[in-house]
Amino acid sequence: MASSPLMALSIASGAIPGALCRYYLTLIFTQKLGRHFPYATLVINLSGALLMGFCTTLFQFMEMSPYFSALVNVGFLGSYTTFSTYQLDSSNLIRRGNYKRALLYWAGSPILGFLCVEAGLIFARQF
Amino acid sequence: MLKKPIIRTVGAIALGAIGGALSRYYLGQSISHIVGSDLPYSTLIVNVSGCLLMGFLTTLFLGQIIRIHPDIQLLALTGFLGSYTTFSSYELDSALLLQHHRLRAEVFYWGGSTLLGLLSLELGILSAEWVLRTWNHQHFR
Repeated sequence: MASSPLMALSIASGAIPGALCRYYLTLIFTQKLGRHFPYATLVINLSGALLMGFCTTLFQFMEMSPYFSALVNVGFLGSYTTFSTYQLDSSNLIRRGNYKRALLYWAGSPILGFLCVEAGLIFARQF
Repeated sequence: MLKKPIIRTVGAIALGAIGGALSRYYLGQSISHIVGSDLPYSTLIVNVSGCLLMGFLTTLFLGQIIRIHPDIQLLALTGFLGSYTTFSSYELDSALLLQHHRLRAEVFYWGGSTLLGLLSLELGILSAEWVLRTWNHQHFR
């Protein structure tokens, strides 16, 4: 089941909207808020972490089909959030000499991300 | 149809995203098959290798030595690497380790991912700079 064509299709169908949401949200955020702080990646990663905590718990509880869970969790949320851009943003802030902002963003992302996952897990248990 | 910029942008990101997400999934499965899923090694390896490639490719593309079409850059960076690496699974893995009261593994995985991610990105940048320097040296002597 794990390597069936249907599984690959589910993941791919989630990955396309996930990556496109990330791209267009980033465009909108940089247009509105500028480029001096990577707000876009931060908001995307935090909202994705919140949804990840929420969806995994809810799907487990509802005994959702593994294909649907893979579409949402592995495909959509996995592609929507990104680890490589987060590190690239941090590195760019360091290179531009914004050490305070770099540290705030680099350390703040995983801390807030962790809190968001926990919030999602707790929130899903209320149902 | 392919002359419309919006279709090309969406197509490039979509193609990259499919490749990135499927590589993450199948590589993750083989890694957990080989080293076990005692620690979430698969997400760690995927994220760290993605950071290395991100540093390498962004620097190489900025180097102006090889000209890469912007659509290919979107495909490789935003589409492929953006989808290949993941932040949400990394945080979920950390939360699950904590739920199973594995505090040391959690701190090691959670802090180690960020630290190794930044280090491998810098390593990618340095190796691309080295490639660009050697290239310049050979062609403009």
